Amino acid sequence: MASSITIENVNAAYGAVRVIEDVSLTVKAGETVALLGTNGNGKSTLIKCIMGIVRPSAGRIIAEIDGVKHDLVGRTTQEIVDLGIALVPEGRRLFPKLTVEENLLLGAFRPTARAQIKTNMDFCFEAFPRLAERRHQLAGSMSGGEQQMVALARALMLAPRILLVDEPSVGLAPLLVARTIDAIKQLKDHYNLTVLMAEQNFTQAIRIADRGYVIVHGKIAFEGGSADELNNNDLIRQFYLGM
Amino acid sequence: MDISLDLLINAIIAGLLLGGFYAAVTAGISISFGMLDIVNIAHPGFVILGSYLAYYLNIHLGIDPIIVSILMLPFFYALGALIYQVYHLSFEKRGQDALRGLAFFFGLLFVTEVALILVFGVDYRYVEAAYIGPSLHVGFVDLPLRMLVPCIAALALFAAIQLFITRTFTGRAIMAVSQDQLALQLMAADPIKIKRIAFGLSIATAAVAGALLIIIQPVEPSVGREYIGRVFAICVLGGLGSMPGTLIAAILLGIVESLTATFYGPSWAPAVAFGFLLLTLAFRPAGLLGR
Repeated sequence: MASSITIENVNAAYGAVRVIEDVSLTVKAGETVALLGTNGNGKSTLIKCIMGIVRPSAGRIIAEIDGVKHDLVGRTTQEIVDLGIALVPEGRRLFPKLTVEENLLLGAFRPTARAQIKTNMDFCFEAFPRLAERRHQLAGSMSGGEQQMVALARALMLAPRILLVDEPSVGLAPLLVARTIDAIKQLKDHYNLTVLMAEQNFTQAIRIADRGYVIVHGKIAFEGGSADELNNNDLIRQFYLGM
Repeated sequence: MDISLDLLINAIIAGLLLGGFYAAVTAGISISFGMLDIVNIAHPGFVILGSYLAYYLNIHLGIDPIIVSILMLPFFYALGALIYQVYHLSFEKRGQDALRGLAFFFGLLFVTEVALILVFGVDYRYVEAAYIGPSLHVGFVDLPLRMLVPCIAALALFAAIQLFITRTFTGRAIMAVSQDQLALQLMAADPIKIKRIAFGLSIATAAVAGALLIIIQPVEPSVGREYIGRVFAICVLGGLGSMPGTLIAAILLGIVESLTATFYGPSWAPAVAFGFLLLTLAFRPAGLLGR
């Protein structure tokens, strides 16, 4: 069943500072869409608007979950998550003093997810064998790469239909960034998720993205219909590749 | 030497039983202070309220104090949830929870105490039950039922809380709520609701602790103050947020106090107990089982 996100003419501000201006974008069912841009251009704010953490001052955000449409603006974060939209937040935000297993079990808090705990946890441990070895270790004592795996696994325990990932590469060594991006792809394929990923690491992000948007100063500056289009775009060359 | 060995073992057993009771009084603090970061110094006040309700229903209707406390659980839970809601709206939400919140709970402690004085007066009250008075004798070991029954009830209370905290979704959310509220929202849980449930639970334990207190000793409205320092000490000693740690710390403190009282006199007991706390924290700052 189809799950997608449609953002229409969204504006958002922190006090008097406008951060998002008239942004429209769509993530169609089963797509992986990259939201690209360097620091401070509004990627995270847009993600926060979708999750109800920041309330847009104008515009509509519609999520279609398994064919049913929901207007997300005005809902609380927990209501939005309960619809089946999971966010892997920037900085991972694990519960550091809980074990890996306890973190994962908390992921399955929403009633829909509770029925699938066993299968989802087995899959997480299969996808990330390291987590199975360390299931009784405190999450805060793990390395950055391992923590990112826990954060991804915890989001999956929610049994989401739509997965949002905010800056998965932050604070990770290049090899781990590549591994994290691969893991997102693997999870997406296995669960047939719809994925929106905000990322500043352009080359890594477009490895798994079907399409992408480049956001500059809170506006969509370029919409690339394919990874090739993004690769060959002047704006991107200028911003990322210094050419 | 024979006599002092008897004395030693009896002192340890007495400390163990006393520690079990301390654990029951600390259980609520371990949840509110240990897990929610809410410095509820009014907790002993609610314990005394529990004692008086146990007294009232015991004297007038002849119900066993422990049964009364179980009947009172929903009432205390609702009271706790209500208090949390007031605390949240008035202080926590505005980011003034540190000092003003402390003053709020200090006030609650006095209001409870004065209300009890107005209703019941300042005389010591006690309850009647079949197990107050007789003792079991195992060899030279004395097991006063007045202490043994509360200890067993306290252990049952701890087992129930520990099961709830570690085995249920709400329980795990309670452990997580002070670590990262936004992350908890991203798990589809409402942190305020989780805290309300947890605080209700913490006050509910006061009903049980209060009944146990009045089984152990006669109670007057300001008795609770004696326990404020002790319960926070036990909570910190055990490790914030760890129920097994709290239980072990309570029993250790009970034994240390009992040994000191037996061999050096009761007035030294608090000093030795707190000295023990300072030493433990010097070597294990997170407490015995703190994470």
